[in-house]
Amino acid sequence: MDTRSHMEAAPDAANALAVRPEAGRSSGRSALPSADCAVRISGLTKTYRSNWTLKTTRGLEHLNLEVQRGEVFGYLGPNGAGKTTTLKILTGLLKPTSGHAWLLGEPIEHVRSRVRLGFLPEQPYFYDYLNGVEYLEFVAQLSGMPGQEATKAARRWLGRVGLGDREKLVLRKYSKGMLQRLGLAAALVHEPELVILDEPMSGLDPFGRRDVRDLILEQRERGVTVMFSSHILPDVEMLCDRVAILLRGRLERVATVGELVNGAGARVEFRCAGAPILELPSAWSARLTRTQRAEETLFTLGDASLQQEVLAWLVSQRVEVRAVTPQRNTLEELFMAAAESSAIHASRERRSA
Amino acid sequence: MNAVLIAQNTFREAIRDRVLAGMVVAGLVLLAIAQVARPLAMGEGVRLTVDLGLSSVTMLGLLVVMLVGTSLVAKEIERRTIFNLLSRPLPRPVYLIGKWAGLSGALWVVSAVLGFALWGVLALLGRGAYWAPIAQSVYLAGLELTVVTALAVMFSALSTPVLSSLYTLGFFLAGQWCDDLRTFALRAPDSLRHLLEFVANVLPNLSLFNMRTLAAVGETTTALHLSLASGYALLYCGCVLALGAAAFESRDFR
Repeated sequence: MDTRSHMEAAPDAANALAVRPEAGRSSGRSALPSADCAVRISGLTKTYRSNWTLKTTRGLEHLNLEVQRGEVFGYLGPNGAGKTTTLKILTGLLKPTSGHAWLLGEPIEHVRSRVRLGFLPEQPYFYDYLNGVEYLEFVAQLSGMPGQEATKAARRWLGRVGLGDREKLVLRKYSKGMLQRLGLAAALVHEPELVILDEPMSGLDPFGRRDVRDLILEQRERGVTVMFSSHILPDVEMLCDRVAILLRGRLERVATVGELVNGAGARVEFRCAGAPILELPSAWSARLTRTQRAEETLFTLGDASLQQEVLAWLVSQRVEVRAVTPQRNTLEELFMAAAESSAIHASRERRSA
Repeated sequence: MNAVLIAQNTFREAIRDRVLAGMVVAGLVLLAIAQVARPLAMGEGVRLTVDLGLSSVTMLGLLVVMLVGTSLVAKEIERRTIFNLLSRPLPRPVYLIGKWAGLSGALWVVSAVLGFALWGVLALLGRGAYWAPIAQSVYLAGLELTVVTALAVMFSALSTPVLSSLYTLGFFLAGQWCDDLRTFALRAPDSLRHLLEFVANVLPNLSLFNMRTLAAVGETTTALHLSLASGYALLYCGCVLALGAAAFESRDFR
């Protein structure tokens, strides 16, 4: 039995996600958007103030971020981290308290920044007196598509999201999953260059999730930039070129999925026989742990760069090494560890204050 | 262009909503009741029919504004359907203008249908020549409802449906007595006079849109009155919508 708990894995993952402000913040020093940026955010801050108590709540704190054209960008964070706040500011639904942002080179204060934008809000709602084609026609025209072209695109996209056989069905009769699919079609019907999706997998069954993944990949192939928030980390891991992790309104990390899962936190496991009472060298005590199983001993090395040295040491101790297995951290482990680390940090800050 | 799209969609929503159809039916029922009650009017049956018919255009239209208009924007915010619109290249003032134009259009259609029904009844009573005063009255009622719709849309963009209803009703009632308020201001002490004049200027002068007394006796109003009323309605709607748009522009949709 593997006695190594999930909590033991956390420090490795936390190291991999250690706060590196420069990773997220350096990109915002120049105030102008560069040509290859689909999204550029500079010093974006949002505070909410209650009308009754006048108490202010921080939604987002000095966010700097860049999303390159053509990439699929995952925006992660626990509930209340500020993901939806960011996406709503970018799409003009919220006004930032301070800071600036640009979509495809256009400042978000101008409505023209939304001409080539497709947006799917979290848990989208629609006019329930319209049918699918009418709704898609309407939103395509709002995004500047001429009438006849909008009608053709509406029919095509309704079919593309699997609702082509329900053209005349009014939206009040749609199920939650069908509404989510329609929302995706509405975000894509005018063939935008940038798509922002807030929890696109939410409310979908496994088939629906697969369809959404396919749609996102298809958009990437077309050169469309996709930025999306999600709690479904395996999907993020599968789809994204880069991810940003947001915690308590602050950007904790921006990195490629590969950098995160194969980064400093990557582990190596050594399955050995005949090493139950072997004393571990003190130099590696923080990085090498031992777990005793029924028929073997499992050594876990938290730093893959020491793999050869540890292997040589085990052999020199006449230990029978049965297998050496590099272990990837899952995004979920890294994410959970970062959240825990941030919570501990915040608690310390509160105590010291 | 986008204002037209929003207006078309709002018009479609209003038409598909059963409230409008209900109002038309209610208006026709009132006309029928007027015919039943006509023998009791001691020779004033035509007057009763015209009065009741024209009043029903205004009152039923007001009811539509109260039921639909005062929640027109608030409902979109509450149901979050507005997220799908304002995240597109749609300026917020254009959205408000579209909502106002769409509902106003639907009210013009209801007013026209009820006005036509009223003229039909009068024609059956041998008063087909009343078409001109009826048309003028319905036109003025349409303008009045357009002004009240602008107020409802503005309040709906800034407040809850219940409060919007109260504010709109308050403005409608106060607007009926705007001329009286102005007359009262002339007799009031200086300090109070300025305040009353200001209030009278801010309130919509809805008595400008009322020619029911003339129409009831088959008389028409002047072209100048119709032009002034049209100009005033346009100007007032413009001011109200500009005010609403300015406040709506900075609103957050959480």
